[in-house]
Amino acid sequence: MTALLEVRDLTVRFALPRPAPFQPRPVLEAVRGVSFTLEAGRALGIVGESGSGKTTTAMATIRLEEATGQVLFEGTDLLGLSDEEMRMRRRDIQLIFQDPYSSLNPRARVGDIVREPLDLLGVGTPEERRQTVRELFAKVGLREDQLSLFPHQFSGGQRQRISIARALAPGPKLLVCDEPVSALDVAIQAQILNLLARLRAEMGLSYLFISHDLGVVRHVCDVVAVMYLGRIVEMAEAPDLFAAPAHPYTQALLAAAPTMARRKSKGFSRPMQIEGDPPSPINPPPGCAFSARCPKAQALCRETMPELRPLNGREVACHYPG
Amino acid sequence: MSLLEIDQLKVTFDTRYGQVTALDSVSLAMDAGETLAVVGESGCGKSITALSVMGLIPQPPGKIAGGAIRLAGEDLTRASEARLRAMRGAEVAMIFQEPMTSLNPVFTVGDQIAEAILLHQDVPRDRAWKDAVALLERVGIPAAAARAQDYPHQLSGGMRQRVMIAMAVSCRPRVLIADEPTTALDVTVQAQIFDLLNEIQRDFGAAILLITHDMGAVSEMADRVAVMYAGRVIETGTADSVLDAPQHPYTRGLIGCIPSLDTAGDGLAEIPGVVPPLHLLGAGCAFAERCLHVRDTCRDTKPRLTEKAGHHVACFGAQEGWL
Amino acid sequence: MSDRTAAQVRAESPAREAWRMFRRNIPALAGLVILSAIVLATLYGSFFYSGDAFDIVWAPHEPPGVTAEFPLGTDYLGRDIVAGLLTGGGPTLAVGAAAAAITMVIGITLGALAGFFGGWVDNLLMRITEFFQVLPALLFAMVLVTLFSPSLWTIAIAIGVVSWPQTARLTRAEFLKIKELEYVTAARAIGARNGRIMWQVILPNAAPPLIVSATLTVGVAILFEAGLSFLGLGDPNVMSWGLMIGANREYILDAWWPVTFPGLAIFFTVFSVSLIGDGLNDAFNPKLRSR
Repeated sequence: MTALLEVRDLTVRFALPRPAPFQPRPVLEAVRGVSFTLEAGRALGIVGESGSGKTTTAMATIRLEEATGQVLFEGTDLLGLSDEEMRMRRRDIQLIFQDPYSSLNPRARVGDIVREPLDLLGVGTPEERRQTVRELFAKVGLREDQLSLFPHQFSGGQRQRISIARALAPGPKLLVCDEPVSALDVAIQAQILNLLARLRAEMGLSYLFISHDLGVVRHVCDVVAVMYLGRIVEMAEAPDLFAAPAHPYTQALLAAAPTMARRKSKGFSRPMQIEGDPPSPINPPPGCAFSARCPKAQALCRETMPELRPLNGREVACHYPG
Repeated sequence: MSLLEIDQLKVTFDTRYGQVTALDSVSLAMDAGETLAVVGESGCGKSITALSVMGLIPQPPGKIAGGAIRLAGEDLTRASEARLRAMRGAEVAMIFQEPMTSLNPVFTVGDQIAEAILLHQDVPRDRAWKDAVALLERVGIPAAAARAQDYPHQLSGGMRQRVMIAMAVSCRPRVLIADEPTTALDVTVQAQIFDLLNEIQRDFGAAILLITHDMGAVSEMADRVAVMYAGRVIETGTADSVLDAPQHPYTRGLIGCIPSLDTAGDGLAEIPGVVPPLHLLGAGCAFAERCLHVRDTCRDTKPRLTEKAGHHVACFGAQEGWL
Repeated sequence: MSDRTAAQVRAESPAREAWRMFRRNIPALAGLVILSAIVLATLYGSFFYSGDAFDIVWAPHEPPGVTAEFPLGTDYLGRDIVAGLLTGGGPTLAVGAAAAAITMVIGITLGALAGFFGGWVDNLLMRITEFFQVLPALLFAMVLVTLFSPSLWTIAIAIGVVSWPQTARLTRAEFLKIKELEYVTAARAIGARNGRIMWQVILPNAAPPLIVSATLTVGVAILFEAGLSFLGLGDPNVMSWGLMIGANREYILDAWWPVTFPGLAIFFTVFSVSLIGDGLNDAFNPKLRSR
């Protein structure tokens, strides 16, 4: 297998407003030295809570956010391309958003929305483009007679189908999905997840899949990276990660997700219950970012940041894994 | 007699499509110290049910068109506005979905809890403040006395939801309504809030009405469950019975379509289509259009709740055994 | 598989659909009727009602309704007021429309650039905007008109130059808000250039307040022109409603009608334009369509 996408040491910094005149602007590091590899045809999931930097990582990977590091897409460093070169490269890398309500231009007809990427790239004749749009509509489960409607005339699930059709239009190799189902009702969620699974199989797509929902990630992804405060703390093949999480934070996430396996009537206590909220990325602690909430934390954890190291076929950033 | 009984409740709304029935023959009952989860997709009527109990249905356009809501025998649908005001917060309290917008940004959280206490109890202000601090401590806020001086925006989302819970239990209500209390929170914080609600229930003996869309939450939180669809209860019983042996095809679909942590699935069970808009409901079962087992009877007549497999279900197929 | 809810709505061209919406809006329709009547009267009125607005045709200050020949009476020189209204409407409307157009072009361009690019572009453009905003508008316009000799064009340009800062600020605010929305990121993700994003994605979504603002600007420009004429800075060779009010203002206590009728004409014009602006705003908002 060849690496479709290789991200090396990706870092995203945001300058915050000055606290007072003439003082330096504080810098927030939303993503701190993230590296991962996505092989063609596979799905890599990034999970984490709010503030973990998972969405920023995705946006920086496709250069919708300024970043340093390297993003090698089929061997080309996207961060080194000129704006115009990057613009042409976008046909290979497409994006599906979280909110099906705000990601479609409310003043454009959905047929035009799906056709827009083709128009921008100047693919084929106008009639061929319209034909492509009709085919895409059928592919994602929408009807041709809905082409000239506006986004607000559709339900959330249908809008997400429109979003998917637009992303598929230029024939991408990589689809970046930013929480694509978290705004949808469970029954609709299942429809969209099944659609994404089918499209991946049919079209040989690769997914970079961002989600806070472990169940969704488990269902879609082959490889999972867990992020906490801008860093990857654990990355493994999905079955391994869910069967035996090595990082205490991964363990806590799994213990926290509500599941039908735990019943009130039978009584249960979570195998790993952590206190407090995720810390703010403005002043990250010097050691392991999770040490403040980690029940296993030792003095070493509070002083030294653990690096992401290989461990039994996976990678973990923890001084005391397992 | 149960602590809270909703009996054949019917609520209608005037919309631009004419009058629609948002709740139809909804019957639920809860005892002290137990948690009833009302589960369903958006628009199924679960939040309307909660608001009806609080007497907070906007009238008009809403209207309670029939049935009764009995709190310890007293019919709240006939109660005066003054009686409802005295009841809200003191006997029935509510925790909302979005803790940021349900707290007043210009007062400290201590003040807001003290205010809630003073509204219903005749105690001096400094006593109310002390109670507020004690409550904040009880819901797991560290350094509660200092935190009580904070404004809502100085607290994290999880802390704000804890404040909401402290405020809700400040008058030891008999019924606590939690409307999707963790939707806005991160998953590790959600687990903390769930565990806190369970603890609070053990300590205070309140009945909890949990509104949720998450079957996992039902499993972890509920003693009993009612599944709602298009304004009706379609299946209800103990959580164990309903989750282990769901009878209604919709309940089965809801359980099957959750991408679970325990199984890496190839395909999720799928419920085709979407919930029908209330103004387009016909004479038959509201789920008929999306049901794979539908027969002619389903389209003509609405099924009623009858007992099956140890709980109640409203489905001809389940009742007659041809599912 | 497919969701089966979206109401079946026939496909129509956007303009046709907007017109269908506009037609249902009674106040907007009324505005359109009033404005059409005013425009038609100023364009073709002289075919049916002969007489030069500058000619002295009767005794001064003839009250309205006394002489059938001069239904609205005469002014302080004995000029026919109806002829004045009909002839003066054209220049008034033309100046209003031209000034509004200039305002919108300058304001939207600068506001869009500032809001979209931010950073130093925004800083520079906003300082320029503030400079123009703190100038006393009427005085500055008076200076411009005096420097370049009063004509319809200089008046329109002067009004445009002093009124654009508000439009620029409004456009900037809308751009700042909309550029953060996901559909703008979506446009970028499919490889749209900045120009396309600015003018074809953000601007249509920023249009509702801008359309309302444009119609209000037409009204303000008409009032501005009236003000300049009132102060004697109008083009003295071209009859306009402002000129009529300005010329007759000294005698308002003796004769109300030479001032009141052009005043009413201005009022109805501005009013009808605002009604149309509101109607257009609703008509171009697809979210209101299926209601």
